[in-house]
Amino acid sequence: MMVGADTCFHCALPIPANCNLTTTIDGEQRPVCCPGCKAVAELIRDAGMSQYYAQREAPEPGVGRPPAEATEWQVFDSTEMLSAFTESTGGDTEATLYVGGVYCSACSWLIESTLMRLPGVAAAELNPVTHRLRVRWQPAENSFSDVLGTLASIGYEPQPLTGDSEARPEMLEQRTALKRLLVASLGMMQVMMFAVGLYAGDFQGIDAQMQRFLRVVSLVVTTPVVLYAARPFFASAWRGLRARKPGMDLPVSIAVGTAFVASVYATITNGPAVWFDSVTMFVFFLTLGRFLEMRARHRSIDRTAALSSLLPNTATRISADGSTIVPVSQLVAGDRVVIRAGDAIPADGVVVKGASSVDEALLTGEAAPQQKSTGDPVAAGSINLDRLLEMQVTRTGSDTTLGTISRLSERARYARPAFVTLADRVASYLVVALLLVATVVAFIWYLVAPERAFEVTLSVLVVTCPCALALATPAAFAAAGSRLSQLHLLVTNGNAIESLARATSFMFDKTGTLTRGVPKITALVVLDNSYTEYDCRLVAAALETASSHPLAQAFKLDDTLPAVDEQHVEVGQGVSGTIDGRCWRLGSAAFVGAGTSGNDSSTTQVFLSVDNHAVAWFEVEDALRPDAAATLESLQARGLRLALLSGDNEAAVAKVAAALGIEEFHAACSPQQKLAIIEAAQSNGERIVMVGDGINDAPVLAGADTSIAPAHGATLAQTSADVIMLGDSLAPLTTAVAMSAQTMRIVRQNLTWAIVYNTLALPLAALGFVPPWAAAIGMSASSLIVVLNALRLSRFE
Amino acid sequence: MSILYVLIPLALLLLGGAVWAFFWAVSSGQFDDLDTPAVRIIMDDDQKPGDGNET
Repeated sequence: MMVGADTCFHCALPIPANCNLTTTIDGEQRPVCCPGCKAVAELIRDAGMSQYYAQREAPEPGVGRPPAEATEWQVFDSTEMLSAFTESTGGDTEATLYVGGVYCSACSWLIESTLMRLPGVAAAELNPVTHRLRVRWQPAENSFSDVLGTLASIGYEPQPLTGDSEARPEMLEQRTALKRLLVASLGMMQVMMFAVGLYAGDFQGIDAQMQRFLRVVSLVVTTPVVLYAARPFFASAWRGLRARKPGMDLPVSIAVGTAFVASVYATITNGPAVWFDSVTMFVFFLTLGRFLEMRARHRSIDRTAALSSLLPNTATRISADGSTIVPVSQLVAGDRVVIRAGDAIPADGVVVKGASSVDEALLTGEAAPQQKSTGDPVAAGSINLDRLLEMQVTRTGSDTTLGTISRLSERARYARPAFVTLADRVASYLVVALLLVATVVAFIWYLVAPERAFEVTLSVLVVTCPCALALATPAAFAAAGSRLSQLHLLVTNGNAIESLARATSFMFDKTGTLTRGVPKITALVVLDNSYTEYDCRLVAAALETASSHPLAQAFKLDDTLPAVDEQHVEVGQGVSGTIDGRCWRLGSAAFVGAGTSGNDSSTTQVFLSVDNHAVAWFEVEDALRPDAAATLESLQARGLRLALLSGDNEAAVAKVAAALGIEEFHAACSPQQKLAIIEAAQSNGERIVMVGDGINDAPVLAGADTSIAPAHGATLAQTSADVIMLGDSLAPLTTAVAMSAQTMRIVRQNLTWAIVYNTLALPLAALGFVPPWAAAIGMSASSLIVVLNALRLSRFE
Repeated sequence: MSILYVLIPLALLLLGGAVWAFFWAVSSGQFDDLDTPAVRIIMDDDQKPGDGNET
């Protein structure tokens, strides 16, 4: 949208029909949409900064518009807020603020220059990429609330951040890695240039003084490359030695270290040859390989990190004596919080007042806003879109869905797949073997041609470095994991990709997995006329409060429920409890002890009984997920055997199986029976993927080779599934299967390449056919090929 | 050839300057986002406000 005649000059929103407000900017009458925008525009004009309007890019409508309700910034001046959000440096106070609505460099300019005009403000720096503003001021001249208020008055509502929010560890890691990479690459280019001179001198003759000069200059440039850029290799080799597990960095360090020391010695004593070019090239390619691998690893974190940064840092808590703004870290379960339209929800909770639509896209991948009204759960990090909501906090901080997702992906990041551990162990034996081979080669050459012994040994060490072998698997798994998380599949177990690739059958739970898991009561038949339909609904609702089974949702009532004692959940069967001294049971026909109704309905039937006497039965129906049929068809097309395991009655399961084209189904299974079916299939050599609810099917999931569970907010924290489906769609399953197969193919290609390369290169180098610089190129190219091959996975469709 | 004795140290000084500038740029966060700049070029952002074209 452009700023035309019918849109606000300041915020670019359409101007309401009955609004005739204008303001004069640069001598021209400009229309504005509200008194707030008029005030902001005039403030900017009066401060002499109206060139902002000429410099800015096309504004996003609504950006910069002052909020209708003014926030009371004074609350931020309390000692407790100041200690939470600011730091004292020297005599100054420093704070980091998140500033929304910054969309171009003119915005940064406006914000920075407005702040710098405040008395006592020493520095204001805005990073338009991260939307973070660092501001430093003298507390004697200005208060925190003045700084915040000033920002708000020009239409950018700030959000104070707690100290370390920008310094994410992976960001610091990337910064250091970039610096090392640059030192290595610039150093390599320079040394290479001098090396051309030295090599040319070897052929055409060179002034002895000039040769010495070129060597000294090479030494000067190589020193930072070895001491700074290659430091991680030395550190890791030392760690490996101390732990008595020599890693691939040990031969690297020995090669780099001895070549450098020998070259320095040759430079000082005017020896026959220097290897500075080989050293820098080796370090550069190794650093490049590690950098690419690090990027693949970080990409999978980015999404969750982006999620956590969505959490607001303050919340408006309401209590008997009005509302106060508090840091989110002070919220506890039970607090009531108000969320304005456009704000992020600070914690998990339940809506207690108001109705609005909420954007949960980043948590679930569901693009359409979700309608939320009283009683509905809301998740931290999602955005309240249109109206004021009041919620009661149920979970805060790391207990929230958001926190759990971050924790689970963390777990996946640190869990090393068995495959990788194996490769590491093999690599460490290999390293010892290679060091022995190098020693033998050195000894033989020393006897045959002592003047070439050092050079040949160096080549052997460099060329046989098992880097490619050690990188082959982790790089592929990291790339696959990050691509899967983009597809809303969170891999929490490092072995999942491998076991998914080897799967032969998929077994599905029905409720909440193939179906939406939002069941509705479609019929209620009262068998005992002494109860009304409403009585039955009330009792059922009261009993089901204890159950986390997806079907329980269908029975939910907002009315006052009777109190239940001795509430007991029989997983997969039903719930029981005592109300007014009588024992009620709700669940399958067998569980409630009632004879079946004789009605062979194809829907799920839930029976209600009191003291073993049937009172009523409910018909509950749960719609299939829209893409279930297509997903199952494509899984079948890949040659996978599909089966449906459900605790539901035969007719209901048969109906779903028929609708989805699954031939094999087992109805009325308890979790133990499901497990037995899986174990029977496993003993026939099948490898099972179980897709089911994380809670009710926990033992079944644990028994399968790979377990996949859909993420249901409340139960997410307890799930132990290997893969979690964050979205509402089943389609990523097909991609996951295809992708895991592709991952294993790439791992095999990588391993084959690494082994073939090493077996070919070792004898050549040992016989003295490979000069050190060629060895450096060969070894590095082989590692790069492996990493680049793995990175193909991050583009997998 | 003796000019090399001047030119090479000069080149090294420039190199040092370049490394220093890059370190400064990295530390000030200019390289924190390595992905968006690559796609920014294909985003439409060259419309100036007030040129009257409704898009």
